[in-house]
Amino acid sequence: MNDSSSTLDSADAPEVASNEPIISIDNLSFSYDLGSTNTLRDISLEIPAGKVTAFIGPSGCGKSTLLRCLNRMNDLVDTAKVTGGSISILGQDINAPDVEAIELRKHVGMVFQKYNPFPKSIYENVAYGLRVQGIKNKSVLDQAVEESLQKSALWDEVKDRLDSSALGLSGGQQQRLCIARAIAVKPQIVLMDEPCSALDPIATARIEELIAELQEDFTIVIVTHNMQQATRVSNRTAFFYLGELIEYDDTSKIFGNPTRKQTEDYVSGRFG
Amino acid sequence: MSAHILKNYDSDLSALKDSVVQMGGSALDALEKSVAGLLEGNLDQCYDVIDDDEAIDTQEKRIDEQGMSILLRFNPVASDLRHVLSSINICRSLERIGDHAVTIAKRSRKILKAGAVNEVRLIDPLFREVQKIVSSALTVYSDVDEEAAMKVIQMDQKVDDLHKSLGKSLSAQIAGGAKETEPLLNIIFISRSLERIGDLAVNIAEDVVFISSAEDIRHT
Repeated sequence: MNDSSSTLDSADAPEVASNEPIISIDNLSFSYDLGSTNTLRDISLEIPAGKVTAFIGPSGCGKSTLLRCLNRMNDLVDTAKVTGGSISILGQDINAPDVEAIELRKHVGMVFQKYNPFPKSIYENVAYGLRVQGIKNKSVLDQAVEESLQKSALWDEVKDRLDSSALGLSGGQQQRLCIARAIAVKPQIVLMDEPCSALDPIATARIEELIAELQEDFTIVIVTHNMQQATRVSNRTAFFYLGELIEYDDTSKIFGNPTRKQTEDYVSGRFG
Repeated sequence: MSAHILKNYDSDLSALKDSVVQMGGSALDALEKSVAGLLEGNLDQCYDVIDDDEAIDTQEKRIDEQGMSILLRFNPVASDLRHVLSSINICRSLERIGDHAVTIAKRSRKILKAGAVNEVRLIDPLFREVQKIVSSALTVYSDVDEEAAMKVIQMDQKVDDLHKSLGKSLSAQIAGGAKETEPLLNIIFISRSLERIGDLAVNIAEDVVFISSAEDIRHT
């Protein structure tokens, strides 16, 4: 990435006012097989800053693929290719030749479906991203770890055993630890790919509460198969089907009175 | 509309609608009997309406249970959610129509026991309009017909006009020193109940508009 041309690699990325788009997707098409078939077709949407945006749709509709496009996780697939359009984050085309994926991911964190803490201590899991960034100062790390664990509503439960293995935590705690790890590097955006699908209802409720709290500091994009969860946690919802964006609107509109019949059929369980 | 992935869901929604339509039939029947009892001088019809009100109340409770069960088990959204919420609202309106029919039956009983008066005939045009508006409201609910629902709402103006005209006429008779004032007052109360039934039919039509378009036109 070229320091002089990219906004994403600066230490202090520009602030984006709430309701302003922090992510702009413009006519995006994407292929997993070098362009033979497009998994995503002509997607355009703007994701507002400081809000929770949910991606919904049946399996195979492309919602997780689009989520993974937002921090270029698909770069890990050799035959993956953006075949048209663009994604801008904080005003920067993230697929521009001078943008490094690693730099991008400092601004766009991710939490996965299956919680995946490193086989290290709780402290080291949270400090990991900061250490990768070269931060060695113990007091800076201590403060960042505490702040991240506080924000992920885990501090009170683990403050007395920060040196214990993260793998000894419950599933819900491990997922909150992964959220703490993701936010420790202070990204502007947190992507969540079905973050509650492996959790019980109580742990799910904790994560949903956490999403509402994190919204104050981060823009969140969440993929979920749980319609009720989308209605509870998100401000905006995008419905995808067969690689296309069918409808994108306020969540209350999508679940209360959607414009498109396909959307109504899907959210009300009438998808044939 | 496409079939739901859960077959019970469609059948439960359909059963809820059937129950509301059935309750509407009971409420309309009570209204017709209560006024027919008065116009035909048939006390038995008045007693039937009073006795049968409990059955309408039971239907209301049953619809509440059905609606709650659907909300609990299926978490409906969009037009399905509006359908369930509005059906519960509508059954509340129908229960009140049943209550007004009981009021009419009790007032009619008093009039008939005291010896019928000619003025009861004045109720007939108002009753015909109210019968029409309630029947139309039930049809638009059954058909979820937004355009027809708007027409039902407009029909209420005629009901209001007839009610006012009847009230003025009977009040003038009382003020003019009519000998039998009690039957005339009872007719005014019956007219008032019929006018309220017209308003409840409007509420039903407004609920149908909400089901169809998600637009809440109450109090506008």
